[in-house]
Amino acid sequence: MIHRSTSFLLSFVPSAPSWTTIDENKLPKVPELTTDVIELLERLSLVEFNNKAGVDRLTKVIQSVNRLYTVDTDGVEPLDTVLEDRVLHLRDDDVTDGNCRKDIISNATKTVEDYFVAPPGNIPLMKIERDYKPDTKSDSTESDSAT
Amino acid sequence: MLSLSLKEALSRLKDGSLSAKELCEKCIDRAVKTRELNAIVTPTYSQARKQAEVAAQTWSRTGKSTTSARKLEGLPIVVKDNFCTKGVHTTCASRMLENYVPPYNATVVQRLFTQGAVLLGKSNMDEYGMGSGSVDSIFGPVRNPWKYEFTNTRTIPEGTLDTSSLLASPQSPGEALGTRGLHRSVHPGTGGSNPGLHEEGAWRVAGGSSGGSAAAVAAGICFGALGSDTGGSTRNPSSYCGVVGLKSSYGLLSRHGLIPLVNSLEVPGIMARSVDDVNTLQNIMAGTDEHDSTTLTDDRFVTSDLPEDIDVKHLHIGIPKEYHAPGLSPDVLDAWRRAADKFEQAGAKVTEVSLPHTQYSILCYIVLCCCEVASNMARYDGIEYGHRGQQELSTEQMYAMSRHEGFNEVVRGRIFAGNFFLLRRNYEQYFLKAQRVRRLIKDDFTRVFDEGVNVLLTPTTLTDAPRYDWFTAADNRTRNEEQDIFTQPINMAGIPAVTVPAGLTSNGLPIGLQFIGQMFKDKEMLTVAKWFEQQVQFENLNLDHLDN
Amino acid sequence: MAAPMRVRAPRLCQICKCFPSSFLRCSSSTTSKRKWEGVVGLEIHAQILAESKLFSGACTKFGGTTNNQVSLFDAAFPGTLPAINRRCVEAGGQTALALNCQINKVSKFDRKHYFYADLPAGYQITQLRQPLAKQGSLRFPILRGDISPKCPLDYMTVRLEQIQLEQDSGKSIHNEDDKQSLIDLNRAGVGLMEIITAPDLSSGLESVSFLRELIGILTTVSTCNCKMEEGSFRVDANISVHQPGEPLGTRVEVKNLNSIRSVKNAIDYEIRRQKQQLQQGKQIINDTRSWDVSAGLTLPMRDKEIELDYRFMPEPNLPPLHVYDNTSIPAGLNPSQIVNIDVLQQQLPPLPAQQKQDLVTTYGLPELYAHRIEVKPGMRDYYKKVVEARPKDPIYIAVRMMGELLGEMNKKKLEFNDITCSPETFGEACDLRKLNAMTTREFEKVVEDLLENPPSETHLNRIRKRLLMGSRDSDEQLESICRQVLEDFEQGSHLKNAKLKRNPEKLLIFLAQQATKKSVEVRFVHARTVFKKLLNKE
Repeated sequence: MIHRSTSFLLSFVPSAPSWTTIDENKLPKVPELTTDVIELLERLSLVEFNNKAGVDRLTKVIQSVNRLYTVDTDGVEPLDTVLEDRVLHLRDDDVTDGNCRKDIISNATKTVEDYFVAPPGNIPLMKIERDYKPDTKSDSTESDSAT
Repeated sequence: MLSLSLKEALSRLKDGSLSAKELCEKCIDRAVKTRELNAIVTPTYSQARKQAEVAAQTWSRTGKSTTSARKLEGLPIVVKDNFCTKGVHTTCASRMLENYVPPYNATVVQRLFTQGAVLLGKSNMDEYGMGSGSVDSIFGPVRNPWKYEFTNTRTIPEGTLDTSSLLASPQSPGEALGTRGLHRSVHPGTGGSNPGLHEEGAWRVAGGSSGGSAAAVAAGICFGALGSDTGGSTRNPSSYCGVVGLKSSYGLLSRHGLIPLVNSLEVPGIMARSVDDVNTLQNIMAGTDEHDSTTLTDDRFVTSDLPEDIDVKHLHIGIPKEYHAPGLSPDVLDAWRRAADKFEQAGAKVTEVSLPHTQYSILCYIVLCCCEVASNMARYDGIEYGHRGQQELSTEQMYAMSRHEGFNEVVRGRIFAGNFFLLRRNYEQYFLKAQRVRRLIKDDFTRVFDEGVNVLLTPTTLTDAPRYDWFTAADNRTRNEEQDIFTQPINMAGIPAVTVPAGLTSNGLPIGLQFIGQMFKDKEMLTVAKWFEQQVQFENLNLDHLDN
Repeated sequence: MAAPMRVRAPRLCQICKCFPSSFLRCSSSTTSKRKWEGVVGLEIHAQILAESKLFSGACTKFGGTTNNQVSLFDAAFPGTLPAINRRCVEAGGQTALALNCQINKVSKFDRKHYFYADLPAGYQITQLRQPLAKQGSLRFPILRGDISPKCPLDYMTVRLEQIQLEQDSGKSIHNEDDKQSLIDLNRAGVGLMEIITAPDLSSGLESVSFLRELIGILTTVSTCNCKMEEGSFRVDANISVHQPGEPLGTRVEVKNLNSIRSVKNAIDYEIRRQKQQLQQGKQIINDTRSWDVSAGLTLPMRDKEIELDYRFMPEPNLPPLHVYDNTSIPAGLNPSQIVNIDVLQQQLPPLPAQQKQDLVTTYGLPELYAHRIEVKPGMRDYYKKVVEARPKDPIYIAVRMMGELLGEMNKKKLEFNDITCSPETFGEACDLRKLNAMTTREFEKVVEDLLENPPSETHLNRIRKRLLMGSRDSDEQLESICRQVLEDFEQGSHLKNAKLKRNPEKLLIFLAQQATKKSVEVRFVHARTVFKKLLNKE
């Protein structure tokens, strides 16, 4: 058991949080998630928001990360990877892999003569009429998706 | 016996006072008896028995000569279910990969096998590692073994308790149904089938996302476990479950075969009951892997044991003031202070330092995480592997259905957010901004280390393990923001960190403190952590009463 | 290189003869007659000649067993990671040097996201922000059909925006009946060089001329085999039209042009189509189209154009790619980890432009001939060997090779590396033809024989023999053939005969033509002489 100490006169651990309070009013506004944006995101993600709750969640995330605006990043280069100073290792041009068709198709639900099978392509996702306005009845995880 | 450290178990295997088969059966027995923790989702008992058999033969053949024995010969381990294991289901606790059986072993798993480790099972987690409580899993939540009141010793009739005989054949119910079978039908988020003796939701979460591995180590199911650490997923549950959890320097351990959440941040995590143990496992797994271009190729890392006699006099321990964050519990603050004092009293130089961008790190983490998630999840379409929706109208329609059905709400939400941040029109504003802030966070660490600090000392989590009902009252993102607050900045910087149990809170629950080291100076950091461990003399959870 | 290297002279406005700067003023008048000009930029996907794929150790050979040249990484199995092939980096570097590009000492990889059944990861690893090379240029001759060998070639220069390394996708076989696509991932992950030109081209002809030069360079430096029929060299064209001096028009992308002919026809068609649309006052829609070879049309690839956003993102699993030069090689680096631009430069074989110049100076060939010989893979080497064996008339040999030899090769679909006939023998045949020892048609027969595998010298031997025995026999033979023709003629249609007889010169030509049809050995000129003699007798 840790017995709470009553006082640390010379503690190196600060006695109170030192975080900056962020003035939420100074943050950029969350861009409006119009039906167009939602449809675009659904098409690019190929999953559905499902309902108003999904849109709300996205709005909240954006709202939350908008606080990054208060950080001054002028002249700071973006950091992709902590290995930015490292050199990419080069592999010799030898055939060391493949020849494992059985493994490759072993997890596929559907195959025809060792080919993977996809439904016809180049058909845009069908638009599903959905209501993203408040008061949708439920947040059910099952939907009439992809009908 | 199951509270032994890895090192102790190995020496007993070596001196013959314990056989590999016996040890394996003990661990299986413990896994079965602690099944309601829901730590293991795919038991691999028959494979484990075979591996233990080989180990037993090796030990009897080599006897006490240790030269030919492998480093982990016969040692039971558990692997988080996002590491690929050849021929063994690897689900990421997602419906998407419910039936996925990888044709290969992750490099780190392979290296453990090569040294004779015995795989006992795959451990539970948040779906694809997206969570910090191990509550968002298709298999149901993981329960923290601390302060947990088990029911099965009382409800399971006498006789069936002799599970070693029950599970002897591969067709036995224990394996055939397994925990996978047990929880398959459980609705996500409502908990396992076995409510235990607690009032609904009163038990503690294990932390996450590697909660299954942490719970397994704490409960004595295994001597070491693999987790993964993207923003704290190894350290957070380790802290909550009272075990040691190591996040190595980025690039030290291969990620090949670790099903990715955020490639640029995550590393395989190591969990065990002592600092020496995580060091042993790190030594075995570290090093260049031709399959992972981000593994280090130079000799900046040397495998070695940690010294026994440690002197901290020459050390400079930094206390980052920003880690006193809003919401820090008095218990944790107290433990932190005590630890700082210990170092001071032992002659180390202890100073307050500043990492000014700490509070923004979690925001930066959210943006980068969502973006990489959106990208990494794009491969799950139901064609080559994974859940395939019953929809053949068009490729996109089929993809949409597979992905909608296969991913839980948390994953889907992050995919949306990631794609939103990555849109051409938002890229600069969100993604690049987050990357710039990431540099500032990394530079904060670089600066304090350049100023002479050897190791930073911070809390690992704000509090001890929260109750399940409290934890699930808020959404995944909200919990993430508070749970990963002290852990994810380390991932931003790529540096090593380890959480070590620091004691019990007034609730009788463990909490850990975090040591943060310099890039590739994992050994120096672990040595400091070991000294601290020696001072604390933390008593591991002992569930031996379940054996009776 | 900020401005286009090829500056078009401003053309006079067709209506008011003003210069383009004052177009605004006259634009209200009839727009239909104004001059529209095509603007074309090409994106070329050239498969890198390498044993293994760009990021995996799977084999790249064309035409393997379905899904067998696939590593777990190529099929995007969860947890697999990319490891770059050194050869692909070197090939990209050599190509960049050959195309006068600036090579980035540090380049980076990015993910480009889109869903497609043959793209298993849901993204392609490519280079957007910092490609391997940028800002190159290529000078090439424009090959009009009617150019005379006497004229110097008309050259133009196209700017190359960048060369990037990227992964190829797999292949889908669309089965309309079963309403499904079959996916083979053998090609997935093969290394590609994407070469992107500035919009400096203006027609199918220019585009095709550019591509021929490019193919010559890539095959010379052996970084791509450029077999369009196997898909190892694919072209997308970005096409728009505008009026000179005006901003560029809305562009249309025509994808997957799989032969040189398709490139030419598709570009010319699309420019025509866009002009027509604009002349009819319609708008050009920024869409993606495919070329329908049989119908000779470009067609929209999708029912409706939807907003694309590839959501580019840095590839987190690949640290930056470094290349060095002699001055920048870091100490202590393993030599297998160094790609040195200076070494690549040294290893570059002489490029086509240099080779052409050599052909012109060494053999006195007209530029056009030198060009034709250079662009055909393997032709230069064969030509040089023939001339070495038979050095008398290099120009004559060039003409025969571009004529009968290429003609027969095209019929048989042969390439120079398929030819087993020795350069000496072919040279001898050329010499015999030059000596008038055989007719054009005989020469064709000889060439046809020599292209057999193994080469047959049946016809050649007959001519060699005939040459040894002198021509008397053949003179007699010729006369008898001519008599036969004359007899046939007399028995033919009286009306037509009467018409021909009124014009003796036409009659001679007609008869001589008939005689050449009787036997390959009959030479037109000789037959004409014989007929002249025979008719005069009468």
